[in-house]
Amino acid sequence: MNPIIAVHDLHKSFRAPLPAPEGPFRGLRTLMSRQYTSKEAVCGVSFAVKPGEFVGYIGPNGAGKSTTIKMLAGILHPSSGEVRIDGLNPHRERRRVARRLGVLFGQRTQLWWDLPVRDSYDILAAMYGMDPVRQAARVSELADLLQLGEFMDTPVRKLSLGQRMRADLAAALLHDPDILFLDEPTIGLDVVAKRSIRDYLRSINAELGKTLLLTTHDMDDIEQLCSRVIVINRGTLGFDGSTSELRRRIGLPTIIRVTYRHTPSLPSHMDVDDAALRLTAVEGRAVTAECNRDELSAMEALRMLERFGDIEDVHMEEPHFEDVIHTLY
Amino acid sequence: MSKLQATNGNDRNGSLRMYGLLFRASVRSRMQYRFNFWFSTLMSAMIAIVEFLMLAVILIKFGHIKGWTIAEAGWLYGVLTLSKAMYRTVASDVHNIESYLVSGDLDALLLRPLPVLLALMSRNVSIRFGEVIQGIGILAFSMSALMQEGRIGWLSVPLTLFVVLCGAVLLFSIGLLTATAGFWLTRIGELQNITEDAARTAAQYPLSIYPRWLRGLLIGVIPVGFANFMPGLFVLRGEAGWWMLSLSAVVSAVLLALALVVWKVGISRYQSTGS
Amino acid sequence: MLFYVLARKTYARNLQYRGAHMLHNLASALFGFIYMSIWTAIAADQTLGEYGAAGIVSYVAFNQCSLWVAAFLNHGLGIEQLVRTGGIALELMRPAHLFYQLMCKEWGQIAYQFVYKFVPIYALYAIVLPMHIPSSLLVWTSTALALMLAAYMSICLNYLIGAAALWTTESRWLYWANYALSMLLSGFLIPIEWLPKPLEAIARYSFYPFLHYVPTRIYLGMESAATLVGSLLWAAALTAVCLGVTGIMRRKVEVQGG
Repeated sequence: MNPIIAVHDLHKSFRAPLPAPEGPFRGLRTLMSRQYTSKEAVCGVSFAVKPGEFVGYIGPNGAGKSTTIKMLAGILHPSSGEVRIDGLNPHRERRRVARRLGVLFGQRTQLWWDLPVRDSYDILAAMYGMDPVRQAARVSELADLLQLGEFMDTPVRKLSLGQRMRADLAAALLHDPDILFLDEPTIGLDVVAKRSIRDYLRSINAELGKTLLLTTHDMDDIEQLCSRVIVINRGTLGFDGSTSELRRRIGLPTIIRVTYRHTPSLPSHMDVDDAALRLTAVEGRAVTAECNRDELSAMEALRMLERFGDIEDVHMEEPHFEDVIHTLY
Repeated sequence: MSKLQATNGNDRNGSLRMYGLLFRASVRSRMQYRFNFWFSTLMSAMIAIVEFLMLAVILIKFGHIKGWTIAEAGWLYGVLTLSKAMYRTVASDVHNIESYLVSGDLDALLLRPLPVLLALMSRNVSIRFGEVIQGIGILAFSMSALMQEGRIGWLSVPLTLFVVLCGAVLLFSIGLLTATAGFWLTRIGELQNITEDAARTAAQYPLSIYPRWLRGLLIGVIPVGFANFMPGLFVLRGEAGWWMLSLSAVVSAVLLALALVVWKVGISRYQSTGS
Repeated sequence: MLFYVLARKTYARNLQYRGAHMLHNLASALFGFIYMSIWTAIAADQTLGEYGAAGIVSYVAFNQCSLWVAAFLNHGLGIEQLVRTGGIALELMRPAHLFYQLMCKEWGQIAYQFVYKFVPIYALYAIVLPMHIPSSLLVWTSTALALMLAAYMSICLNYLIGAAALWTTESRWLYWANYALSMLLSGFLIPIEWLPKPLEAIARYSFYPFLHYVPTRIYLGMESAATLVGSLLWAAALTAVCLGVTGIMRRKVEVQGG
């Protein structure tokens, strides 16, 4: 299957003015001749996304994340390299690419602030040249899917954040694009709203087969939604693979907390065999150990711990996804 | 027809339909707050009329200014007000482009299957009823006075409409050129003050009152003079021929073409350098 | 002292924009120039009473400068913003009276505008035009006093305009309505004795002439300092109204929560 998003050796550098050196007539000298420095925001990024994937695209601030997305959407022109969205070049065919894309910005709305939600959809439908019959069907479908019925006639400025996010999501889907870019779609939402947006996104991907590209700082979003993660750092890709691969690659250990019935008799040192299991804390009857699941299965770890006493209670913790990402940044 | 196919004709139809919807939606939403709507319309009409009264009062006392009577001055004033009202109704956010550049909201417009300019113009469509009322009111008063004096005939009505339309295009083009400067300067508030506010205020009064250098500026550099004064020489005073009307239209058209070209360059720059 | 602290903060806040403001002065000077051209065109073939062609130019020029001290204040003293964010309730409850607080802040604004707008534009006009420059110290001080009273009255007016924000969201129109009326009735473009009789009567019974007409005529030596009694009386009256309105505002906020 041909990739629906193809990025090859993408580069983007910006010219940033250097501050003029201190001294007399600094303002005037700046006007006369300005020195520039070249800042490389994106250096040689390549990846391909197949139709129907749900990809997380993450990186620390200033890593080149939004620059890449802007180049994919046709907002920014690359310095060099190639981008293909559904076979089209967003640089040269911005408007045709725009028809295939839907974008959801978490931090601002694409709707008309003072108008009822319904009016925004009417205007967008006219913008995309949708005929009225198809438009009506589509709006009603989306209203059902995202439960917009109760506020279709409310001005956007009066909506709660969760409602506005759903309305914006519907706006992004109105023209039935195959690809959706999501920029911080759960930011500022309460727990209930977050879960419902995530459910919607999941079903849009699973049931409607849309390709979704998600950028976010909320690692729970990535963990719950994305099958694949691409990490960009300082302009280059640090990782591109599945979320489980990512965990394994980073190799953060599982934490096992064991409570013994009586004070355990712990060895003064661990012999070589047991290097896979490390004791990190001992407090009376509670012992904390670490192990890598690749090297040592949970059962084996427990058997080893049983040698030190009767186990009363066991608690296992996977490393936080955030900590995983943190080591990558 | 596949949803991915959109011919240019479809685009144009869609844009017209879009504008119709924007107008209706804007009026509907403002009518919802009846008091606010009538209050703001009344206020803006009153303010615009009082601005004209400033000049009218001088002309009542002194009879004429450089040979222009109060009725003629009213025509100049009304025409310009209507041109401005048309321009700002349709392209309000072109004038407000600075806030888009500063907030990065311009990016969202590049995601639409429309020319960026159209997408920008569609963001804020709001009919300026107060100014329309003032413009029509002053024109009605002026033109009926002039007709009673026998200075102009009924032909001047469609001619005036034509002048207003050309003027709207002219003011729009000046506004667009100034807005495009924002791609290089970002902060263009002060520039707009000069090219739009100051120039337009100057053109509200007969250009003959200004020294030659300023008149030249207002005709040759920031050609607001062609929005009312120059065509006015023909329509009101017969001091120029039909060619003046064509010249005004040509100036508007040329400026529009120039503005659109420069805008494209500006957008292209925006896409290369980011904000 | 609270006055100094509040005024200074506003003054300092404006300083960072002084580059843009200087550029704006150019536009402002141009506006004045437009109005002067109107009068020079009239003066070409008509006499202009006690002003004469030169006098009327100075009249308009000084009026244009005085706009920056007595007209272009923060819309409604920023009260509309406070109402929108809900901060008005907090501000009304402070130990310092709301009117006093906002007045102090606005004086800082006026002081800044005097230094960075009034003075540069006045200097420009003085150089480029045949501008009347008073020779007597008494005239200078009377003018300064007149301008300060005009500024104070403008503060009061803006306070009342801003207070309206508690009752309607469209209060910013009142600012422009006041501005338009002021342009017409304060003698800004045309000395009030030349207004049509009905308008002249309205003007004379209002406070508007004291905003521009009186200070400029004192500057031109056409009025004596005695006229300032009128300014004082109006200033006192407006202050009383502002204080009264504050009481009403307090009650509204207490009842409705702003």
